Amino acid sequence: MTVITHARRKSNLAKMIDSAGGISVGVALERARANIEAKRAEALAVVDGQISALEHMAAPTSLQDTAARLDEAYRAANAVIDAAAPFDLIDLCRAAMGLCDLIDAARPGQAFDWRIVTVHARSMRLLQSLPVEADEARAQVLDSLRLVADRKLAAPSQP
Amino acid sequence: MSALGETLRDSSVINLTAAVTMVVDDSNFALDLTTQALLGFGIRTRYRCQSAAGAMEILQDNPVDLLVVDCEMPDMNGYELVRWLRGSRLGPNAFVPVVMTAAHVRRSRLSQARDCGASFVISKPFSAATLLERIVWVARDNRPFLEVGDYFGPDRRFRETEPPGEERRASMIRRAEFEAEKSETKPRERQA
Repeated sequence: MTVITHARRKSNLAKMIDSAGGISVGVALERARANIEAKRAEALAVVDGQISALEHMAAPTSLQDTAARLDEAYRAANAVIDAAAPFDLIDLCRAAMGLCDLIDAARPGQAFDWRIVTVHARSMRLLQSLPVEADEARAQVLDSLRLVADRKLAAPSQP
Repeated sequence: MSALGETLRDSSVINLTAAVTMVVDDSNFALDLTTQALLGFGIRTRYRCQSAAGAMEILQDNPVDLLVVDCEMPDMNGYELVRWLRGSRLGPNAFVPVVMTAAHVRRSRLSQARDCGASFVISKPFSAATLLERIVWVARDNRPFLEVGDYFGPDRRFRETEPPGEERRASMIRRAEFEAEKSETKPRERQA
């Protein structure tokens, strides 16, 4: 196969990054963290709204409807990760990622066990309500979801 | 190791204040979070786009210095946008450093992620430090661009550049410590 190599010209970003002025990395990060922290309340509201959307999402009524519903659930789980990730809500991210993995593994044209969405939504709600120090309870919730994922991903087809 | 937990030193100075930056994300809130993090780094986002189509329109006429794109978007996704940009031959924009962010990468899109021509894909959750580190890395990235079949983008083999996550100075310090440790343990080994 033919390979054409284009020698890299120095990008504008490369030219400016070491130019005079600017700020120290320490200050940059401090400011970025403060700016993000200011969005915490909004982020928690977004997480809450997306979990609620998952909780109330109706199961598909036909095979034709399944793909669209799964896309909707996938987008909601993605939105949970987007909003929870910068605030170290790692457990919520893990639960949402597990749901994304399972939706991603759904076979086109086949029925999807909608209880997977319901269980993940309820688990996320539980994780959200558990106190920060309840490490054991959080681990249990995530372990249960992992079991669901292992069983479903190992199964030849759903449900 | 620095307080950043990764590779940048707190005392390093960066100047990205003049960088013309575009952030593309279908989620308005995620867009806010990214632009706020960038603002902390001294980067004012010039273009905020909630769709690939909107970004394409701007990129056709306006040069940018840095592009931050979400992978998963309805209609045209982030991978398709970056692939279009690289193949567009739109002057400097085709070579612009691109950092992609992903909450979850679908298995069916792994090859798209590898082949779209992005400079870097970061998986969430990531810290502000990781985002900054990757931006600094892509700024200093001097890999040549390759045209191979229908791929156009930076050389995907990290041969001549340090792999991301390794700062040269930090690795030199670690190597020196390792060498010192080795020379200290050798006589003891001999004694045993």
